[in-house]
Order: sequence, then structure tokens, then C-alpha cells
Amino acid sequence: MECTVRSQTGFDLLELGGEVDLQFSHKLRETILGSLKTGNPLLIDMAKVSYIDSSGIASLVEGFQTAKTSKLQYGLLNISNAAMQVLTLTRLDKIFDLHSSTDQFKQKLQ
Amino acid sequence: MASIAKHVESLGAYCITAMEQTGRTFNMLLQVLWELLHPPYRFYPIVRQMYFIGARSLTLIIVSGVTIGMVLGLQFYNILQRFGSVELLGAGVALGVIRELGPVMTALMVVGRAGSSITAELGIMRITEQVDALECMAISPDKFLIAPKVVAGLLSVPLLTMVFDFVALFGGYFVGVKMFGVAEGSYWNGMTDAVEWQDVRLGLEKSFVFGVLVTLICCSRGFYMHLTKAGSQGAEGVSSATTDAVVLSSIAVLFSDFLIGALA
Amino acid sequence: MTGNTPTTNAITIRDLVVDYGPRRILNGINLDVPHGQIMVIMGQSGAGKSTLLRCILGLKKPTSGSIQMLGTDIATASRKEIYKARKQIGVAFQGGALFSSMSVAENIQLALHEHTDLDEKTIQIMTRIKLDMVNLLEAENLMPSELSGGMAKRAALARAIIMDPKLLFFDEPSSGLDPSTAAELDQLILTLKKGMGITIVVVTHELDSIFKIADHIAVMKDGNLILTGTPQEIIDSTNPEIQGMLNRKPRETIVDTDAHLRRLTGDF
Repeated sequence: MECTVRSQTGFDLLELGGEVDLQFSHKLRETILGSLKTGNPLLIDMAKVSYIDSSGIASLVEGFQTAKTSKLQYGLLNISNAAMQVLTLTRLDKIFDLHSSTDQFKQKLQ
Repeated sequence: MASIAKHVESLGAYCITAMEQTGRTFNMLLQVLWELLHPPYRFYPIVRQMYFIGARSLTLIIVSGVTIGMVLGLQFYNILQRFGSVELLGAGVALGVIRELGPVMTALMVVGRAGSSITAELGIMRITEQVDALECMAISPDKFLIAPKVVAGLLSVPLLTMVFDFVALFGGYFVGVKMFGVAEGSYWNGMTDAVEWQDVRLGLEKSFVFGVLVTLICCSRGFYMHLTKAGSQGAEGVSSATTDAVVLSSIAVLFSDFLIGALA
Repeated sequence: MTGNTPTTNAITIRDLVVDYGPRRILNGINLDVPHGQIMVIMGQSGAGKSTLLRCILGLKKPTSGSIQMLGTDIATASRKEIYKARKQIGVAFQGGALFSSMSVAENIQLALHEHTDLDEKTIQIMTRIKLDMVNLLEAENLMPSELSGGMAKRAALARAIIMDPKLLFFDEPSSGLDPSTAAELDQLILTLKKGMGITIVVVTHELDSIFKIADHIAVMKDGNLILTGTPQEIIDSTNPEIQGMLNRKPRETIVDTDAHLRRLTGDF
């Protein structure tokens, strides 16, 4: 699993890739919660996610809830097919803020 | 002749079954030891089982302890009075309770109170496929189900025995001193003079052995219920396994009591 | 996704024989379950379906033969290897087999608590995601004794998929359920296959659900696999035994009144 945070203007971009499974999802959780602590909005790029299991999804959900309570924007970007299937299956595709480009997310920030 | 042969045959079959069951129980002990030596170590399940085996048997132990103490006080008083040596009452009650009756009665109470329900619980888990479900989740039933019960038995029975001993001494005190007027000082002093450390140790050793024996036999009868003849008979199988477990573990307690007493 | 080379089959069974005392329960079974598909094992009671399932799960040692499940030969593997293979599978038992001393949520979380060191919050969310998938969120804190038959089966399914298994076994999903609940479960099984790509093995004798969910069907009778094929192949089969199972004919009408009366009253 790859999981790196880059600072952009006005928000943080988390690039997620590879297989997000039981072994690695705690790292994803820490990264998301750590990034949200800085008080920046968070956009998670999921284009390179080849596999994500429900522990990974659970980490995304917890991050979303944390962002909401601290009134931060929190979005998912370029969901890969593999990830989209899991999101649909768990009926979370309608819950998350899904974006197809960074600009779309930036517009929301204003 | 034919009927003799038949009897020999059924005796043989019985012996084989008995040996199989003993083997399975012993194997279970080895499995439990193996699991206890390997991580992850979990204490909460043991505490939970100790509550079940120990704490919930406490009332029963206290009531039966007091009663046994009173009975002993009564009997010893009657006998000692004939020889004019009632000042030995405290010693008699204490030795009888600490060396023999405390561990044995406590173990038998635990058999009836907790042992039977251990067998029934595991038997029901077996016939409702809960044991299979655990296996399929890659969780060892020996570690998850059996080990906490055996460890809890090992720890609870000695503790309960101490409680039993303690209240039984007061039961004897009540009958001897309060009812028959034995001098209070001679009751307690006779006790402290007569009881030696090795008596206490013997009682404790017994209760440790009983604790393991009882939980192990009851676990094995319930857990391996499907391997016995009655195993496929559902609820009836559970009830006969429970009866078996109670009978067997009671006998095991009494017999090992004799063995330990003879070897000590 | 750990180290398994993607072979074509999730399960490959060769010449599986099981004896129980002098009785032969399974008589040389050969079966392939392809990845990502639903295999239904059907047959009447006593045909050997449950024994076959127990062998695949490693709960019963076969007399001879081999069972490759996700790259492990269950028939010869050590206990440790079997446990490792089992971490990638989920099993939903017939009656649910929920642990009666734990709540529904605790039942579902058990494997996560035992096998992972995930954060408690993550485990809680995962549990609720699975409960939501089987439409049982409101039952989270109930005890198994408080569930209806259908709820228990759904809770068992949630427990079986909590670790996102590659292979799911479902024993009699629709037996004893009312038609609408049974249909709901069938739908759920199809969704799991499509959404998560899980290979699913279903053991059942309910014809309605078989043809709704199956990609492949294996028909068992008296310890033998008499036919394997797609649903269409099963329907088209000219094998009289299979046709007999598909069209359960009512027993012949009583012709000899006197004889039947005598049978009932016992007067001869």
C-alpha cells in the first residue's frame, strides 16, 4: 500500500494506491486522522487503488466522520473501479463526496 | 457359554470406550498446556470463567461449609465427650476440614454447580455447530473455550476451598462453643496447636488437582460429545453427557483424594 | 491477496473417498469450483453434501483423495496450514451457529479481535458495514436467542464475510425461511459475488434458489456426484434421477383401496 500526504494550496492531498487490506488499513487510518488534525481539508486520490477491503473502507468512513465534526471538507478523488465496486456494495457511494478532478474539490472549498 | 461370551464382549467394549475417553481427556490437557504456552495470552476469558465457576458457587460453598462444620462439631463433640477430651474439638474439626472435607466437598459442589453446566454448554455448542464455526474462523477451540475453563478451575477451586475451610471452622465453633459450652480458648488453641503447615499444604494440593480434574473431565465430556454413542442424539445426548460428566468427575475426585492421601 | 498464484480453480477435489466405519459416505468425488463463481451442491438429505462440505472445510479427514482449497491441500495439510487457509474463507452454517454467549456484534467481530490488531473504532465500523449489508443494523446488540431464523442466518452471513474472504461457504441458506426472506438471501449472495468477486459454494436442496443463483451445479446422490454442469445443462439432462429431483412427482394415487385400508388399520 502507498499512502502519502502532499500539501496543496488550501488542502491536503492523500495519494492512496495498491492493496489496502487488513494489514495496512491501520496506517491509512493514522494518516487520515493525522492529516485532519492539522485543520486542512482532505482530498483522497484513489485512482491507483487496486484493492480495498472493508477495513480500508472503515478507515475512510471514520475519517469522514472526524472531518464532519471538525467542519472540514473531505472528498474522494478518481475512484478506481475496484474501489468503486466495494463502495457500491457497502452503499457508501452515495455517502462520500466523490470527485472526478481536483478543481471540482477546490470549487467546493470556496 | 454364549451369554458369558456376550458379557465379556460388552465388558471389553466398555473398557475400550473408557480408555478412549481417558485418552481424549489427557490429550485435551496436553492441548491446553500447549495453547497456554503460546501467545496471544488473554486474561479476560479466564476472569469471566472464574466468575462463573468461582463467584457464582460462593453462596453454595458458604452454606455447605457452615453446615459441614456444624455436623463435624456435633459428631466430634459426642465422641470426644465419651473420652472426656472435648478440648480436642477444635483440633478435630480443623484437621478433618483442612485435610479432607474442605477440598473434597468443595470439589463436589463445583462439580454439581459449575461442572454440569460446563458439559452442557460445550455439548450444546457442539451440536449447534458452534465449535465447527470457531474452527472455521481459524480460532482454536482449545485456546478459546477449554483453556480458560481449566485455568479458572485450577484457580477457583483452591480459593473456594479456603472459603469453605474458613466458614466450616466457624460452624464447628458455633456448635461446640456456643451450643455445648466448650471453652472458647481451648477450641481455637487446640486448633492452632494441632494443625501444621503440611496439613494446609496437603489440602491445597488436593484442591489444585481437583480443580483441574473436574474442569477437564467436564470439558472433555461436553466437547467430545459427538464422538460418543449418545453424541448424535441431540438434546438427549447433552443430558446423558452431563450426567456422565458429573458421575465421572465425582468419582475422580474421591479416588484421587485417596491417592493423594496415600502418597503424601 | 497474500502469495497465492491465481490458479483457475478456488477448489479442486480429486477422488475423494470418505468411509464411516463400514459405510462409504463419499465414493470418489471429483469437483472443480472456478474462481469468482457460485457453485451449488444439491442433492437429497443423506446424499453426502454435508460430509463433502465438512471435508473441504477440514473438519473431517477423508479416507483418501485430495482437496485443494486456495492452494492448500486440506486432506494432508497440518493444523497450522489449515488454520492459515481458513483465514481466507467464511462459513455460514445452517442454523447460524452464532455463539450464544455473545451479542450479534460480538459474534461478527470475533475473528477481527482474534486475528488482527485493528483499532476498536475500525472494527466497530466494519461490523456495522457488514450488518448494513445484510440489513440487520437494528439487531447489533441483540443476543442470538432473540433472533428469528432468517435474522440468525443473515447474522451468520455477516460474520462469515467480516474478514472479506475469498471463498464463502453457505450451508442451506434458504431452508426453513419464508419465501420472501429466502429470496432476499439469494439476492444477497448474488450481490456478494458481483461486488466482492467472492467464490461462493452453496449447499442446498431448495430448487427455487438453486436456479436463481447458480453458475454451476453439482448433483449428488448416495455419495456420488452424478452430474456437474450449468443450470441449463442440468435442466436439459436426460438422466432420470435428475429429472426425478427436478420434477418431484406426487406419489401414485391409491388404487387398491382394500389393501391400503388394511395397511392403515393393521388388520390382515
